[in-house]
Amino acid sequence: MRTTHFHLLHMLTGVLIAVLLGTHMVILHFDTILGFFGANVTEPTSWQSMIDRASQGIWAGLYIVLLAVALYHALYGLRAIIVEVTSSLKTERIITWAFIIIGIIVFIWGTYVPVALLSS
Amino acid sequence: MTGESAKQVVFKIQRYNPEQGSVLHFQEFTITASRGMTVLDGLIYIKENLDSTLAFRSSCRMGICGACGVMVNNYPHLACHTQIEEFNADTLTVKSLPNLPIIKDLVVDLTPMFDNHNAIKPYIIRRDTQEMKDPTAEFAQTPQELNDFLQFAYCVKCGICISACPTSASDRLFLGPQAIAQSYRYCADNRDEGQQERSSLVDCDHGIWRCHLAGSCSEACPKGLDPALAIQLLKRRLASQALGIGRKQQPSTVVPPPTEIKEKVPYPEFTVKKKKEK
Repeated sequence: MRTTHFHLLHMLTGVLIAVLLGTHMVILHFDTILGFFGANVTEPTSWQSMIDRASQGIWAGLYIVLLAVALYHALYGLRAIIVEVTSSLKTERIITWAFIIIGIIVFIWGTYVPVALLSS
Repeated sequence: MTGESAKQVVFKIQRYNPEQGSVLHFQEFTITASRGMTVLDGLIYIKENLDSTLAFRSSCRMGICGACGVMVNNYPHLACHTQIEEFNADTLTVKSLPNLPIIKDLVVDLTPMFDNHNAIKPYIIRRDTQEMKDPTAEFAQTPQELNDFLQFAYCVKCGICISACPTSASDRLFLGPQAIAQSYRYCADNRDEGQQERSSLVDCDHGIWRCHLAGSCSEACPKGLDPALAIQLLKRRLASQALGIGRKQQPSTVVPPPTEIKEKVPYPEFTVKKKKEK
């Protein structure tokens, strides 16, 4: 894969974040408007509601995908900024591997709860 | 240098001589600038009459060679292509182009630009090596195909786009707008088949995707080129190539030489001197 592939993926994840985060924001904060359209959303920000949503496959999947795309988008973007001001190829490699490791750790940490709830 | 429109102008010129261990400073020279006088004329006047140690680069004096790129009042210009009158100011601050190492005074080292230019293989690459080695005829190219890249072929390699580019300022390894635009110039040429080879050079961490599309290169180009457009068009080509979509450019064929050669139109009678009859 060349930089073009990574950059296209960066742009695609940006669009996906807008869609997935938009869905998340609508469900959590626009419950009154959703109720107007007939959707039955009761106290979406309560602890129990969150646990209930995370226990459902579709919502757990949505949150896992959102975490993955947000992590890729954020870390690739941050790496691009740092690499731009770095003139050493060795430092670049270290930064790249550091971000890959950070990304994997945060992804595993973030998916632990929905995976645990789904498997229970 | 006399006349009704002549006026006194102060040239505040950057001086720097690393060989003598001097620090970068400014020196002022007052000259009488007449109408139509260029910044380069002013610099030549200073060198010939006021301070012969002043260093600047120039050659053609008509905006073709791209040697005299300097910053005038904090904006990059070709000194020979810029009249003093344009600024409507009593003081002109003349500095060397930024983002390039200074050799002396206003002379910058253009080696990094030419290295990057050479790296992107700025020549026609074709698979029919026999035809390239021993050409039998010309390659076909319609006026429309020529128009696809013609403006980018007018690049004079002055380095002004690089000095204006914010990415070149922050990223020392960035290929630069000049090299990337020239890469597009050759990839868009229908006689060329080297996009694959060039894309591996341009499509890297310090390559085409580091361009933020500030557009300063196009704004500053003294030849009126649009390197930012070339970069965007090359990005589109690379994205299409990566996704496997879009129209593939067919390499041009060899045009057989004409079988019949038209005779030249004879000169009109009145232009030919007749021999006097004895």
